[in-house]
Amino acid sequence: MSLRADVDVRVGDLHLRLDLDVADGEVLAVLGPNGAGKTTLLRALAGLVPLDAGHITVDDLVLDEPGRGLFVPPERRPIGVVFQQYLLFEHLSALDNVAFGLRARGVRKSEARSAADRHLAAVGLAERGDARPAQLSGGQAQRVALARALATDPRLLLLDEPLAALDVATRRQVRRDLRHHLDGFDGVRVLVTHDPVDAYALADRVAIVDGGAIVQSGTIAEITAHPRSRYVAELVGTNLIVGELGASGLVTPDGVEIAVVADFAGPAFAIVRPQSITLARRAADTSARNTFHGVVDDIDRIGDRVRVGVAGPLHLTAEITVAALESLALRPGDEIAASLKATDIETYPA
Amino acid sequence: MFLLAVVAIAFFTLPLIGLLWRVPWSELGEVLTRDTVRQALWLSLRTSLAATTLSIVFGVPLAWLLARVEFRGRSVVRAVSTLSMVLPPVVAGVALFASFGRRGLFGQYLDEWFGIGLPFTTAGVVVAQTFVAMPFLVLTVEAAIRQFDHRVEDAARTLGASRWYVFSRVTLPGIRPALVAGAVLAWARALGEFGATITFAGNFPGTTRTMPLATYLALETDPGEAIVIALVLIAVSLVVLVGLRDRWLGGTRVAP
Repeated sequence: MSLRADVDVRVGDLHLRLDLDVADGEVLAVLGPNGAGKTTLLRALAGLVPLDAGHITVDDLVLDEPGRGLFVPPERRPIGVVFQQYLLFEHLSALDNVAFGLRARGVRKSEARSAADRHLAAVGLAERGDARPAQLSGGQAQRVALARALATDPRLLLLDEPLAALDVATRRQVRRDLRHHLDGFDGVRVLVTHDPVDAYALADRVAIVDGGAIVQSGTIAEITAHPRSRYVAELVGTNLIVGELGASGLVTPDGVEIAVVADFAGPAFAIVRPQSITLARRAADTSARNTFHGVVDDIDRIGDRVRVGVAGPLHLTAEITVAALESLALRPGDEIAASLKATDIETYPA
Repeated sequence: MFLLAVVAIAFFTLPLIGLLWRVPWSELGEVLTRDTVRQALWLSLRTSLAATTLSIVFGVPLAWLLARVEFRGRSVVRAVSTLSMVLPPVVAGVALFASFGRRGLFGQYLDEWFGIGLPFTTAGVVVAQTFVAMPFLVLTVEAAIRQFDHRVEDAARTLGASRWYVFSRVTLPGIRPALVAGAVLAWARALGEFGATITFAGNFPGTTRTMPLATYLALETDPGEAIVIALVLIAVSLVVLVGLRDRWLGGTRVAP
């Protein structure tokens, strides 16, 4: 089973244009900020928003292709959707929620209910069949929503922010369970999230969407090693410098020169891990080839580490220890020198 | 402020007390079993329930259309179909007479082609009542459908439900409290309908003389009878109002 989609759709101010290709048994996470078009993408795949152009194909079945006048409405698509906030039917029991899809397809009540029973048992909720959605915890509601989506035996499973509605305490457990249930489904799975942690935990491959387009896609390892946009670099927690490699090193569009070690020339990306940046009150004589003077604009404590934003000719984020922060007595607005060793800067072609 | 509120309360309470004061309690049983009164009671019950049924059958789809389908002139359609709520009932009756009367623009064809004559018949009473009562149901149900999260309907569609299945199994159960409230409001309005009925359907005992008409008529010949019928109407209205308040105060969830 596979999903191939060339999506071109306008909703309000958003113009979503992207290609997706998800192979058999693969979990694709679509990761991006709010308003990037992730939910619109899912709604287009589900048939709740018709395409303006392009096509959506699952296996050999064309679901939407406006160029040829083809459109399969949502109720006739082989899909299952887990919505954000789950959208369970409040007036039905958990069991009847799961049986709903089969009942809508004309399956007899007793038969639909026994199938729903099996699907509830598969997500560990065999005893909660009589409960109303309002009586379920967030994690249970999510599993009922998953069982409901899987009960009709779909070929394509779509999940919209499946963990966003949960509190932090239950999230980790539910995330692990969800991974387990997703592994048990052999169709195509597309998951939309704004949280990189969810994407890493649940997906094999990630497509990063911003402003209605895919800005980068690949395996999680590839994306972490070689981010190709500011947004992605921020997501994976590293510094990205864009420029042109030449005889005088890497030159940014603003004309800042950075000494690097590289064996190619032309448009290039460079990443600097925040841990390899040294901060000093006064620029000292060091072996570091690059020193930039700037102003502290952000101090963000994460556990026993501190991320310090430095606004200068380049915007850099350095990661230092709490002890280092205290001995430097840094405050936002302080002047500071940031040093980078040329050997700590990794370059790759743009 | 407080004093003015007390005046308002008195304004609504005093007529009730005045009415109760004048009730001929000793003749109550006798008046209620009089043929004319029983006829009016029975006619009112049948016609108002028929009007409520028609309001639900046609009003719910209209409410759905107004709430969920975007089309040109939607606000005009809404205005026209709820106009009879603010129209003086007599005007509504005259309008019905001009269009569905035996010589009316459309009524003449009803008569000519189907042999159906609405004026001065029980069916005419039902038409007049439906005309003024349905807007109450339409507005109540439309507001509820609007408030109902359409994404829940989307979820049902992705599960394989046709539009009709979604509407009957998800939307309708979801708005049930509003549907009940709208139906009760429409029924109460139909039960009390006077002006449009007497203008369009006339005032014939047994066929078109409903309780409000009988009350009005009796006031000239036998005030005691008028007061007894009025008492019945007030009792019915109070029961409806109390029942509705419980539903509204009880929240949106209704036990199965």
